[in-house]
Amino acid sequence: MRLHEYEALDIFGQNGIPVPRRSIAESVEDAQNIADGIGYPVILKAQVLVGGRGLAGGIKEAASPEELDRVWEELFSSEIKGYPVQKILVCEKVEIANELYLGITVDGYSGTPVIVVSTQGGMLIEEVARTSPENIASIHIDPSFGFYPYQARALLRMLDTKPQLVTSWTGVITRLYNIAMSYEALICEINPLVVLPNGGLIAVDAVLEIDDSAISRISFPLPDRIDRIENPLERRGREIGVTYVDLEGDIGLIASGAGLGMASTDIIGQNMKPANFMETGGGITADLLYKCMELVMMKPDLRAVFINVYGGINPIHEGAKGVARYIKEHNVKIPVVAKALGNRQEETWEILRSAGIHVVTEAATEKAIERLYKIVGRG
Amino acid sequence: MSILINDSTRVLVQGITGRQGSTQTHWMLEYGTKTVGGVTPGKGGATVEGLPVFNNVHEAVKETGANASVFFVPAAFVLDAFMETIEAGIKLIVVVPENIPVRDVMKMRGYAIDLGVFALGPNTPGILVPGKGKMGIMPASMFAPGRVGIISRSGTLSYEFAGILSEKKVGQSTVVGMGADPVVLRNLVDILELFEEDEGTDAVIIVGEVGGEQEEKAAGFIARRMTKPVAVYIAGRYSPQGKRMGHAGAIVRGASGTVPSKQEALRAAGATVLETPIHVAEWAAEHNLS
Repeated sequence: MRLHEYEALDIFGQNGIPVPRRSIAESVEDAQNIADGIGYPVILKAQVLVGGRGLAGGIKEAASPEELDRVWEELFSSEIKGYPVQKILVCEKVEIANELYLGITVDGYSGTPVIVVSTQGGMLIEEVARTSPENIASIHIDPSFGFYPYQARALLRMLDTKPQLVTSWTGVITRLYNIAMSYEALICEINPLVVLPNGGLIAVDAVLEIDDSAISRISFPLPDRIDRIENPLERRGREIGVTYVDLEGDIGLIASGAGLGMASTDIIGQNMKPANFMETGGGITADLLYKCMELVMMKPDLRAVFINVYGGINPIHEGAKGVARYIKEHNVKIPVVAKALGNRQEETWEILRSAGIHVVTEAATEKAIERLYKIVGRG
Repeated sequence: MSILINDSTRVLVQGITGRQGSTQTHWMLEYGTKTVGGVTPGKGGATVEGLPVFNNVHEAVKETGANASVFFVPAAFVLDAFMETIEAGIKLIVVVPENIPVRDVMKMRGYAIDLGVFALGPNTPGILVPGKGKMGIMPASMFAPGRVGIISRSGTLSYEFAGILSEKKVGQSTVVGMGADPVVLRNLVDILELFEEDEGTDAVIIVGEVGGEQEEKAAGFIARRMTKPVAVYIAGRYSPQGKRMGHAGAIVRGASGTVPSKQEALRAAGATVLETPIHVAEWAAEHNLS
């Protein structure tokens, strides 16, 4: 789960990392009151859960109440990379002497946390990684050994950091590492970490993504995970316990695994357009697939549904009953093509066929999608 | 011949009394797997599918001579059960469950590697040696005995590839699910190395997917060490990517992780890149693998 910047800044601030004076606004009146309290100029930051927000125009300065009105209007009615802006963080403007970068993530290959720092923070940090990698240093932390501040000092030595900065930066790294561990973060990042003219450090931005699998055991209060999914179909997917990603096409998909789902969207995408990506994971029941059908069918102007499931851990004969029940109850008219293989496949085919579903019994997903294509055509 | 599972493998099922544990034990026995017992703390003395259930792994190993274990343990208890299993001396562990916190997986991985335990998962369908046995959830009907090794990040796609090959009378030596999580207990390269050394395997298929850098690292191994033909499919070219924010991952990995970057690295290493799964049939025919 990704937290909003304002939520992550609160957590960073509560854990001893210096953060700017700020407050979250949902109306222009809120924003004016906050700005009056902080004093102009202020920075307005659209709260959307997407990277590259600054470059996409989601961060603006207001030097006066009149300008704040205008900037609010611009930001609040806008979409940042397709995300509507519903909350805006009003922030103190800090004097910037220099911008640093600090990030902690999980390195999948080594299976360890990794700390990354750079003396060239800011919006173009990935560019820096490509063009001047000497300005970036990273260190992997052995999870059983743990993290010690000397590792941060060693990291900063690699960047030739000024001695007066090493102590304060080491403090911020240590605190952020502790936050990353206690919140079970997949990503924990400050970009930029601003150096003030007096040499102090302040976290001007905050990113915190928490491991969904760990949420139930985190003892700190967290916002509700389902609430923050903005797309209603994707939110419904989360509610019923499947991964649903809304796409632009008109061929609905239900797959029983992420890899199979990706391969299915890849193949559908060759000459048709998937309406969604969906994968159920290993929890198929009759009821779940009934709900999956219901969810897929919520998309308007659907031309067909493709079901691609394997009976390994999943009882696909049970799933088939749910699909068949949905089709009968709702008198589904669009074609439904299914490939269902594995344990109890014959029984599954029987149930699907009795509901009027086109059943493909070959292993290759291509064969099933070819069949689908023949039925719906190019459209 | 095969990798990981052989005639002396004696399998323990942890979480055997649960719904999935008991169902899958049934399928594993039906497939001929030498399954010798199960563990569920507090349920010692019971039997499932005719197998004895023990309260702890030490006792199960002592009584049954088990040397491998497959997990159907609820995610929250996996770390604890895993450490217990390693301490009991078991050297092959398959962790089927999904939704295990990454922090737990990192601990498990470090400990297993340090102690020379070969562990797969989490979120893996397990291992299947056609006609011999299986640890995990792979559906038997998709597989046929033969000489092609399959390594897959995705469970369902491992079935798909085996199924396409089996229809063309191309059998498999061993099919291995690595696990689909961002951190897995063993990397792709380690499994590839087992196939390279296995006399029963003539060629290997890697079924990868977008994200991470397992496939890029495997490309290095293929270029340096691999003598057997390798075919690769990378899922996710048109798939929606998580709207990832934060740069740390991208900085660490650089351009790694995209479908083209993986395909490019593997092609340069001499592997055959399959654009979609069905092309595996032509590749197998070209290499006379049936």
